[in-house]
Order: sequence, then C-alpha cells, then structure tokens
Amino acid sequence: MSELRRLLDESDSETEKALLHAGRSYRSNRETRAKTLAALGLASSTAVVAASTSAAASVPFAKLTGAKLLIAVSAVGAVSLAPIAYHELHHDRAPAVVPARTVASRATAPVVLAAPAVEGPARTAPVAKTGAPAPVPRSSVRAGEVSLAQELSALDAARSTMARGDAQGALLLLDGYAKTCPQGRLKLEAELLRIDALAKSGQTQSARRHAEAFLRRHPGSVLAARARGYTEPRGSSDD
Amino acid sequence: MPRLFLVDSPGPGQAHAEDENRPPDAGIAAIERTDPQEEASGQVGQIMGNAARDGRLRGLVDGYIDFVARVLRNAGTPQADVDDEVQRTFIIAARRLDDVRVGSEKSFLLQTALNVAAHARRTIARRREVAADHAPDTFDARATPEQLTDQKRVRHLLDRILDQMGSDLRTVFVLYEFEEMNMAEIAEVLGIPAGTVASRLRRARAEFRARVGMIEGLSKAERDQ
Repeated sequence: MSELRRLLDESDSETEKALLHAGRSYRSNRETRAKTLAALGLASSTAVVAASTSAAASVPFAKLTGAKLLIAVSAVGAVSLAPIAYHELHHDRAPAVVPARTVASRATAPVVLAAPAVEGPARTAPVAKTGAPAPVPRSSVRAGEVSLAQELSALDAARSTMARGDAQGALLLLDGYAKTCPQGRLKLEAELLRIDALAKSGQTQSARRHAEAFLRRHPGSVLAARARGYTEPRGSSDD
Repeated sequence: MPRLFLVDSPGPGQAHAEDENRPPDAGIAAIERTDPQEEASGQVGQIMGNAARDGRLRGLVDGYIDFVARVLRNAGTPQADVDDEVQRTFIIAARRLDDVRVGSEKSFLLQTALNVAAHARRTIARRREVAADHAPDTFDARATPEQLTDQKRVRHLLDRILDQMGSDLRTVFVLYEFEEMNMAEIAEVLGIPAGTVASRLRRARAEFRARVGMIEGLSKAERDQ
C-alpha cells in the first residue's frame, strides 16, 4: 500500500499548517501526569515530565496571528461550522465553584466521598462508614459532578469492604455510589463491582443476571470480559 | 480470564494458586487490593508484585501520557475533560495489565483511548450547558501571550473542523496526520481493511481541505473588502 505524505509536510497553506500543527503538537502537562500517577496509586515522583515545548512549536502561529486568525474564525462561524465556536472563544473560563445545591444533595448520600488523596485512592482509600457524610471539596469539582478521584475513592471503599468479606456492606456502598453519581464516569466499574459483590454474597443467580444485562448494554466495553466471567463456566472465558 | 477480576478476598490457598498463574510482572489486581490486613498478610509477595506492577505502570505513563492525551484530545475529548480521561485510560490499562502483552502497550492504550474518547463524545451533549472549558490549554511555555491566545484559537478552529467529520473519518485522519501511523498500523488497530483506511483518509483529507479552503477564501474576501 502506498503511503501518502502527511498533509503537514506537503501543504502550502499556512492555515492548514497551523491547524495540523496544533493537532500534532498537543501535549499533556505535569499536572495531568501527577494526577494520573496518583490515580494509579503511584506516588508522584519528583521527576520532571518531559518538556512540552518543541523548537518548532510556535513557528506556524507566527504567520497566522491576530486579526487574520480572528477573521478566519469568524468566517468559519458564518459559513458552516457550529456558530458556538465563536461564542466559545469568548467564554474561555468558567468559575470553578460548585453550586450549593450540588454539595447539599451529595452530602445526603451514604457514601463517603473522600477528598482526592495525594498518594492515590487505590492505596489510601479510607474505609467508608455509612451515615457519615463528608463534605465534598469544592475546588476540584466541576459543576454538577463529583470528581474522578472522589468516584475512585467511593468505589475503592466498596472494594475494600468487600475484600474484608463484607459483601453486603459493599452492596450498600455501591447503592450509595449509584445514588451519588448516577452519571458517574466509573459507572461501569461500579456495575462490575456490584456483580462481584452479588456473587461473593452468594447471590449467584442475581450476579449472573446483572452480568448478562451488562453484556447486553455494553457488549463492546473493555470491562465486558469481566462480566463474561459471571455468565460462563469459570475458566472458559477468554478475552 | 475471570480470575483476574475477582475483587480480592481470597479464600485460604486461593490467592496463591491464582498468583502462580500470573506473569511475574503482572499483578494488576494489586490496584484493587486495598485491605490493610490482606496487604499485611501477603506482604512479601505483595511488595514484589507491586514493585513490578508499579514499574511497568509508571513506564506506561512516562512513555505514553502525551500520546494518550493527544489522541483523546484530537478524537474529540473537550480540553476540560482531558485530565480525567487520561486517568481513566490508564486506570483501565492498569486493571488490564495482565492482558497487555509486552510490546503491544501502545496499541492497547490507543484502542482504550479511542474507546474512552468515544464515550466522552457521547456525554458532551448531555453536559453541554456546564461544559465551558475551565481547564487551561497546554501551550508552548515560550509562546508570547499573543501567541497563546492564537494557539487557543487555532485549537478551537481545529476542534470545530474535526467535530464536523464523522467519527470514522476523524479517527483515521487523526492517526495518520497527527500520530503519523501508517495505513497498515491503522487498519490493524481499528480492525478494518487497509482499503477502508485509505478511502477514509482520502475523504477526511478532502473534507479538511475543503473547510480550510473555505475559511481562507472567506478571510481573503473579508480582507479585500
């Protein structure tokens, strides 16, 4: 199969080059790395993440600056791209404050949503106690949402409760999670944990039904293999 | 391999039997082992397992975090969500570490990131009203303030153009033009025929160039007025 040259290499349009460069030069930042290591239970080291700069990074932009680009953007809005593009350019930042109702409604749930732990929730998750609501830290929470770290802590609490042999307690905590984070990003993870907990508590039929329902709803999920483990004779599941 | 996913409260003997079946560098279930008593009881094995697992995971993060972030972003994850989705991608990788063959880490992370990005895209509409980006974009640290603003605008423009492509075209375009993968690699990762990759790339490029051409034509017309 013949390989085409990359557009960035063959283009003679400054606009094209600037756009392609923007796509190619995107980098994560140190904060992202630190958060990721923490979420994995790997304490963030002092190692500095590779510098996110590159010598060529700003070159294409030098040729496509100021008014010219503004015109380009507004032209896009006028023709075919979503008009909100232009609108969004003027709303770059939203205050990182959670509306009071969010915190208040979360606080009634039985799951303790621990503050994001520096060393990562996987290792340091506190054991949740029902009926002991903790304040949700505001600064790291997007409006209307619980942070990923908090979701992780909640699920880790359920997991460690189950690890102590208290599957019923884990189910209670998972109920709390479902109530607190109905649209949680780890919702699928939570469903799998529920299936685990049901199986552990001896409710194998129920576990199987949940697993089958999970597979119907999320056949392509990366977690499907786990659910399949409960719908097939043990050991026969492959990945 | 269901045994990988039993959340741990192993009965007597069970845990060891399972551990023996694991590759020595694996132990992803360690991420789920949060019970202090259990950790204490299996301390030695645990420490060894954790060290290997931690090393491999850290290597994945160090080696591929930019790649993962870039794929997520270019595949349609809003800037404000990139941090969370990067974490999510690596958490999934951590939990599946046993299944990830040495040497195929990058393609596993790529497939995971594409899935995560697809999921993120589906939730965008639902959150549209609260999704105003409040996380700062990542910029070249040496750029001037004026350039920062421009980079941000260029990024928004790119987002708009990519958002208008169908996700099939977009994925191929992103992998070929930004990740510089070749067509055979893309075909393998996406599980589609190479001919399909070529035709999607052709269409994606045509769309991209048409939109850019329109932008340039219009801005020239505005300047000439």
